[in-house]
Amino acid sequence: MDKNLKKFKLLRNIIAVAFILIILSIIKLQIIEGKKYYRLSDRNRIRQKHIPAPRGKIFDRTGIEIANTRPGFYVSVIQTSIDENTLKKLTHILNIDEKTIEEKLKIQKNPFMPVKIAHDISYKQLSTIEENMDILKGVEVGVEPLRNYPYGELFCHLLGYMGEITHAEMENNGNYSINDYIGRMGLEEYYENHLKGIGGIEYIEVDAFGREVGKIAEKRPTPFIYGKHLYTTIDFALTESLAVYLENYEKAACVALNPQNGEILVLYSKPGFDPNLFVHGLQKKEWQILNNAPDAPLYNRAIMSCYPCGSTFKPFVALAALDSKMITKEKSFTPCRGKYRLGRRIFKCWKTHGKLNLIDAIVYSCDIYFYQLGSFIGIDTMFSRTNKVGFGKKTLIDLPNEKSGSLPNRQWFEKQYGKNWTEGHIFNLSIGQGDLLVTPLQLACAFTIFANNGEIPIPHVKKREKHDYHLTTISKEAIEIVKQGLKGVVSFGTGTLTRVENFEVCGKTGTVQNPHGEDHSLFVGYAPSDNPQILVFVFVENAGHGATVAAPIAGKIMKIYLLRESTEHHAKKT
Amino acid sequence: MIFSTAGSALFFKQTIWLIIAVIIAFIFSKISPRIWLNLAPLIYIGIVLLLLILLFTQEAYPKRWFKPGSISIQPSEFAKFATILFLAGFLAARKKAKNFSDILAPLFIVTIPAILVFLEPDLGAAQILFPILIVMLYWTGIPGTKIFIFFSPIVSAAASFSIYVWVAYFAALTIFLYFHKQLSDFIYGLVSNFLAGLIMPLIWNSLKGYQQQRIISFFSPWVDPRGMSWQIIQSKIAIGSGGIIGKGFLSGTQKKLEFLPARHTDFIFSCLGEEFGLLGIILITLVFLYLLYRLLVLAKETKNRFASIFVSGVFAWIAYQTFLNIGMTMGLLPITGVSLPFMSYGGSSLLACFMAIGICLAISKSKFRY
Repeated sequence: MDKNLKKFKLLRNIIAVAFILIILSIIKLQIIEGKKYYRLSDRNRIRQKHIPAPRGKIFDRTGIEIANTRPGFYVSVIQTSIDENTLKKLTHILNIDEKTIEEKLKIQKNPFMPVKIAHDISYKQLSTIEENMDILKGVEVGVEPLRNYPYGELFCHLLGYMGEITHAEMENNGNYSINDYIGRMGLEEYYENHLKGIGGIEYIEVDAFGREVGKIAEKRPTPFIYGKHLYTTIDFALTESLAVYLENYEKAACVALNPQNGEILVLYSKPGFDPNLFVHGLQKKEWQILNNAPDAPLYNRAIMSCYPCGSTFKPFVALAALDSKMITKEKSFTPCRGKYRLGRRIFKCWKTHGKLNLIDAIVYSCDIYFYQLGSFIGIDTMFSRTNKVGFGKKTLIDLPNEKSGSLPNRQWFEKQYGKNWTEGHIFNLSIGQGDLLVTPLQLACAFTIFANNGEIPIPHVKKREKHDYHLTTISKEAIEIVKQGLKGVVSFGTGTLTRVENFEVCGKTGTVQNPHGEDHSLFVGYAPSDNPQILVFVFVENAGHGATVAAPIAGKIMKIYLLRESTEHHAKKT
Repeated sequence: MIFSTAGSALFFKQTIWLIIAVIIAFIFSKISPRIWLNLAPLIYIGIVLLLLILLFTQEAYPKRWFKPGSISIQPSEFAKFATILFLAGFLAARKKAKNFSDILAPLFIVTIPAILVFLEPDLGAAQILFPILIVMLYWTGIPGTKIFIFFSPIVSAAASFSIYVWVAYFAALTIFLYFHKQLSDFIYGLVSNFLAGLIMPLIWNSLKGYQQQRIISFFSPWVDPRGMSWQIIQSKIAIGSGGIIGKGFLSGTQKKLEFLPARHTDFIFSCLGEEFGLLGIILITLVFLYLLYRLLVLAKETKNRFASIFVSGVFAWIAYQTFLNIGMTMGLLPITGVSLPFMSYGGSSLLACFMAIGICLAISKSKFRY
């Protein structure tokens, strides 16, 4: 018995210790860590489903929708539930290859979460999938709001497009999830936070295979918040007409704005692309074709292309000269005989003009006059005034990717050409060729100084209550004098094709030399000359002299606008 | 519990088994235990044959069940019962047992069915036999120290995976053996442990990576595509989320939504924890504890050696398997694939346990006790 007792005690004690250990562990699990495990069991079964918010619409100034949303059907799969057979069927129905699907699945680390593999499927595809739902395992279809651009190419550069968010962007910004779209280029990018709504959350109960079992009654869904609409100053009708006038030309850019307050009426660039293509999720091939196309359809020429602006620079050289009081309007130089010799080089003019004063030189766009004028005032004066007016600087328009062009100064020339840079460089600069690089928007904005008598508004696309201005310190007299020249350009100078009945137009033609082909045609101008309502800059590549192509188009645009405004004005009065 | 985890069909089956088991236990309790002593060798041989037949006839892998009709019979459960019975008889027949040689024969008796079960494969059921053996040897009178020394090479082999652990173990062992003051033990202990510690790493390292992996996963019968640790995590989630009073009968989300695999067999304790919380667990554990306590008391007070050793074997069986299962569901012990006696779904286990209990009842009633 005693032996038994001893053994009994030992075994009993072992069991007791084991029991206590178990109970302690249980207590740890259930009480101390109980909440954590409860949460985990909930996390197992509760999935947060992201409800995307509809994006804000974009309107033109009259209320026409140029970007809105439409519903699209997507297909998503759950990795753990899908099998080979289903995958094959899907690739067939959706017309995508297995590799694409697999790549998308790889990004989603949680195999129980559904991954969207196809967007905006057609009704036919949708019904095929729905019909075969019983054999397709782990496949779900749903509706999502998709961005829609009713006018396709017309506003493609201005608006931009929607692209799928990249991994890096998502990590940096907490408001996005893996399948979200984000605005790229244009207004969509610049006003992303404004346009994007805040997604809602729906709580769904799922089983161990990730299948939706039902909604959770205890947790109410968080409603989404609509994106805010964007009201722009863009003029739809005007842009449409412009597109028609530019039909026969392949590459062009146009900026039209209200010079008194900086509201952008037209921002157009050609060639373009259809932003609706991106909504479907562009295949890599298609993107590369667009990206590498030689005529750069993705490029917004209006704010990104930098050209030498040719003769349209001359008014600013004149302005610099007058403002610095180095000359008066009567000033003349060696008469223009078509050629001018500087050292060993010959500089040409497009015509022989004879002796001219400043205003005539502007009106008839005499190169030789301006060679001498530029040389006379020197690089420093030229740089300081033109820089004030906006050359070489960004306009700060509310669009991304604006370029600032290039305005050379003394240091720049020295750096570029060494200490021995010559007067010849100034010659070229004076007529807007050579190392000067300007974007259409920059030039248009710089030109507002003439329309506005010294104040340059900051251009904007979004409608604003108040407008901002740069106050330049250019003298008003200087501006007045140059303005006379600009009037003359249209009345009897190089820009007569711009003439609009009943309205006095001021402007300047320009021709950009192109060593590879035909010269580019430019015109910038505004009307009416007192109380200007619209300022237009037209740039057509490879179209020859500014006077012949760009000027008439600008004139037509101004005509449409002014007639319309005056009839409306008339209508309001009566 | 079965109802909530496995649905009504299995619940129904289990109930039938339960009824049969209780009836049989009742019958057994009326039979004089002496009969068992005589039957024991027959039963043991019968089981061994059954296991052999199982190995060679069953097609499906793992070969653990006979499946006549819709019933499945798992011989390995009955093997535990039969081995304990036969072993008890064998050990009782020896007069005084206290050296190594006395351990060898019982070891042999246990190893035969163990190997057969292991080959099914079912490591969980096979390895249970050894702790049972140890307890029964101990209860027979072989000093615990002797038992420990005999089996110590296994500990040495396990410790050999870490050089620090092994050195510490070997040092402690040497000191222990020194104070034990038995030369033969001393020599055996040091030599065997040393060899074991030496050979184990050699063999292990000679295996290629995938072979090692296979062995590791083989020893864990529940290789789930989502990974083993998944099961433990889900089990802990189930238990932990139960809190004090649990989520309620039939409301366990872990099991309802199929997050916890094998919920009605090996992980039924987790479901208990999820649905009935701490209170439920304490209750059930106390019930088990009481059973074990009664068994132990019975073993102590029974005069007849055979009966006493038999009861100690039953005690060891239920105690070890229960704690192994619970420990597994809580992540304290590795996954071993043993079910919770009386509670997990499984007719053979239930029947075998009840048979053993029936005999214990007979013992407690009969004159063997006093």
